[in-house]
Amino acid sequence: MKKYAYVGPILFLLIWAAITGFHLVNAFFLPSPVAVFGKLLKIFSDGGIFPDIFATLFRISVSFIVAAGIGLPAGLLLGGFEKAYRSLEFIIDFCRSLAPLAVFPLFMIVFGIGDASKIAVAAISSSVVIIFNVAYGVMHSKKSRILAAQIMGASRLQIFRSVIFWESLPQIFVGIRNAIAWIVLIIIAAEMFVGTNVGLGHRIIDFQITYDLPGMYAAIFLTGVLGYVLNAIFALAERRIVHWSGK
Amino acid sequence: MKSLISIRDIRKSFNGGELYGNLNLEIEAGKITSIFGPNGSGKSTLLNILAGIVRHDGGIFTIDGFDHREFSYIFQNYRDSLLPWRTNFENLALPLEFQGKSREFIAQRIDELQKLFEFDCDWERYPYELSGGQQQILAFLRALITRPKLLFVDEPFSALDYGNNLKLRKHLQAYFLAYRPTIVLITHNIEEAVHLSDRIVVFGSKPAKVIASVDNPLAFPRNIDTLKSEAFHRTKDAVLNAFLKTETI
Repeated sequence: MKKYAYVGPILFLLIWAAITGFHLVNAFFLPSPVAVFGKLLKIFSDGGIFPDIFATLFRISVSFIVAAGIGLPAGLLLGGFEKAYRSLEFIIDFCRSLAPLAVFPLFMIVFGIGDASKIAVAAISSSVVIIFNVAYGVMHSKKSRILAAQIMGASRLQIFRSVIFWESLPQIFVGIRNAIAWIVLIIIAAEMFVGTNVGLGHRIIDFQITYDLPGMYAAIFLTGVLGYVLNAIFALAERRIVHWSGK
Repeated sequence: MKSLISIRDIRKSFNGGELYGNLNLEIEAGKITSIFGPNGSGKSTLLNILAGIVRHDGGIFTIDGFDHREFSYIFQNYRDSLLPWRTNFENLALPLEFQGKSREFIAQRIDELQKLFEFDCDWERYPYELSGGQQQILAFLRALITRPKLLFVDEPFSALDYGNNLKLRKHLQAYFLAYRPTIVLITHNIEEAVHLSDRIVVFGSKPAKVIASVDNPLAFPRNIDTLKSEAFHRTKDAVLNAFLKTETI
């Protein structure tokens, strides 16, 4: 199937080139692929985009580390004590359903308008996603394997370490990949508000204000690449680590 | 006769329906006892009750000197009890790892058992890369690695073809003769039951109860020729006759 993967993007570019080539829409709203990728090349060659990429990557990485640092232990613990999870289930579900940016103004008051508030919003709201998935994975481990370990006389801790943790690993990855998607979304959006002069989200707004639409499309494209690459890295890690999945 | 397990008036109901009224059974130490009966006669449930996985509703049972480290249970759904994130070696090692045994000790045990069972596989690969039959044997070996004094086996041969079935019986017998554990074997194959056990307990269903207990005088070791002998068929017929008392075919 891999060999068909190129068909879609090539077709997309051809249609895009045709629309702009035959002036089917106003060139101001939709610049040609040549203009957009020319702009992309330019912001890379003059180095102007690198501080934005690094700033966004930095915010995403710190948010992820904090989210995983909170979410993994909390999820494992809550999953292990099902009554505790059931008691908190409503709160977790509620937080999961809450639009993260709704609390951004509050976080700006608490953490200031700099990086801290952006990272805090992304980290805390995505940690809820991790907690939910990890706890779910722990609670839904296959009973037959747990039973087998119990019969061998394993202690609760041994069962948790040797069986339940591994059983929930596929679900842990679901949580982690969802969290990364959340974090990218929140960080890019938060960068569009205030308190920063660098970041891909900030760049998109900057290009928009100056009516530099090729630049805006280029920055949007980069944001997509960033999300795609991050997801691909975790998908690869998942395939490597959870090698038994589906077998 | 020294009994290891005594079961007195065990009662068990499922969803309002009674599985056993009053179940009584003695299981001898150092012998192989087969429990033979139709599906739904509560054979597996009995083992689960004895293993402490399932609660019973009344009556008592005792297992002399029960210790988890000296007890193993081979489940019917062996595939679900192997751990796919562990290599074949690590799967076998699991029960001994729980007991805190050293790597050398574990490797030596695996080596001994592997020889006894004439079993080999790539130990650094994973169970899902083995055939169903090999997975079955791996689950089997994992249960024996601790050299249990008491072994419960639930339908161990069901997934094997006849040739591999006979081989596994041969190896289980060799293991039994070497270490003399007490084995309780559930089966719905008369030939298996008579081939391996010292005694065959026949269960009937609705409600589940012990219909008959047939002593098997055949001498160990029992080989393929034993299967063709007259004595073998006498015991087999006795089990069949007991079975036919409750089942109308």
